[in-house]
Amino acid sequence: MSPRNIFVAVVLAVALAAGLAVATRLSAPAEPKAALVLPRSNALPEFELLDALGNTVSRETFLDQWSLVFFGFTHCPDICPLTLQTLATAQRELAAAGQQPLPQIVLISVDPERDTPQLIGQYVAHFGDGNLGVTGSLDELKKLTSALGIYYQKQPGDGESYAVDHSAAVLLINPNGEFHALFSGPHVAANYVHDLPIIMENF
Amino acid sequence: MRTGLTLLLVLVGACSADTEPALVASDVTITQPMPGMGMSAGYLTLTNTSEETITITRVSSPQYSSVELHESVIDDGVARMRRLEKIEIPAGTNTTLAPGGKHLMLMRPTEVAADAVSLQFYDGATLLLTVTSSQLQDSR
Repeated sequence: MSPRNIFVAVVLAVALAAGLAVATRLSAPAEPKAALVLPRSNALPEFELLDALGNTVSRETFLDQWSLVFFGFTHCPDICPLTLQTLATAQRELAAAGQQPLPQIVLISVDPERDTPQLIGQYVAHFGDGNLGVTGSLDELKKLTSALGIYYQKQPGDGESYAVDHSAAVLLINPNGEFHALFSGPHVAANYVHDLPIIMENF
Repeated sequence: MRTGLTLLLVLVGACSADTEPALVASDVTITQPMPGMGMSAGYLTLTNTSEETITITRVSSPQYSSVELHESVIDDGVARMRRLEKIEIPAGTNTTLAPGGKHLMLMRPTEVAADAVSLQFYDGATLLLTVTSSQLQDSR
């Protein structure tokens, strides 16, 4: 081979290698960076809670759509609005990027003694249309939280003034009504924007 | 997210002989009470320009029946809110009250949709600082 031919061969080889590298990188499956996708999805248990209008919310309510579920309470001026704002921001950014389907945002009250259907409905509506606020009896709530490993504990306080400690995680429920993935707090909108399309695409 | 407006503040000097207030507030945000809810959160940065630690034991506001010092923490996956007895700001440092951490919890507004909220910070009976801020709409 002449030096010129060797040169051409080397250039071609380098170009080929570079092309392969790019192709490999593009086709590599993208991984969620914040969400923990459960190795096996867990079906939601049977339970009966209420939405803002007093209609039943059950396992069936979660079928045929993706849901981001947060357990909190309305008498919570800091973490709960912060989390709902984060989820609403993520949802808005996903919508702007043309993502379909979009998950609905669900707040389930761990303080049903104070959170009436109307109150929880007003609260979630503040963060956008289509959000679902859920409350109901403590017994029905317990069925759901025990099955999902959600912790909550009312703290001592004066009369109506008390706080409720609660799991900070956001749960992703898939369209089969199964607990599919978990986002641990603190919550960052960019993580949801990155991870949700990947998780939903792989479903 | 919350709009990060820096608000115009009216600072009433601390009760030292100096004309410069020892405790200075900046980036004050008072959220609008959520619909149907009688509570707001207050966030701000407090700077201690003095040579001694400043302790805040109490905050009050004419526009709210009660103001408490609170801290949100996420501890082992559990979100907890705790009432703080005091906030100590060492000499020459600042403390930021921000979403997801230390904050003021303002409860039971005394008037509907107050345009301005005034906050008084005390160490015991001593008034340290008065801050006035407009109330911000929570962003959606």
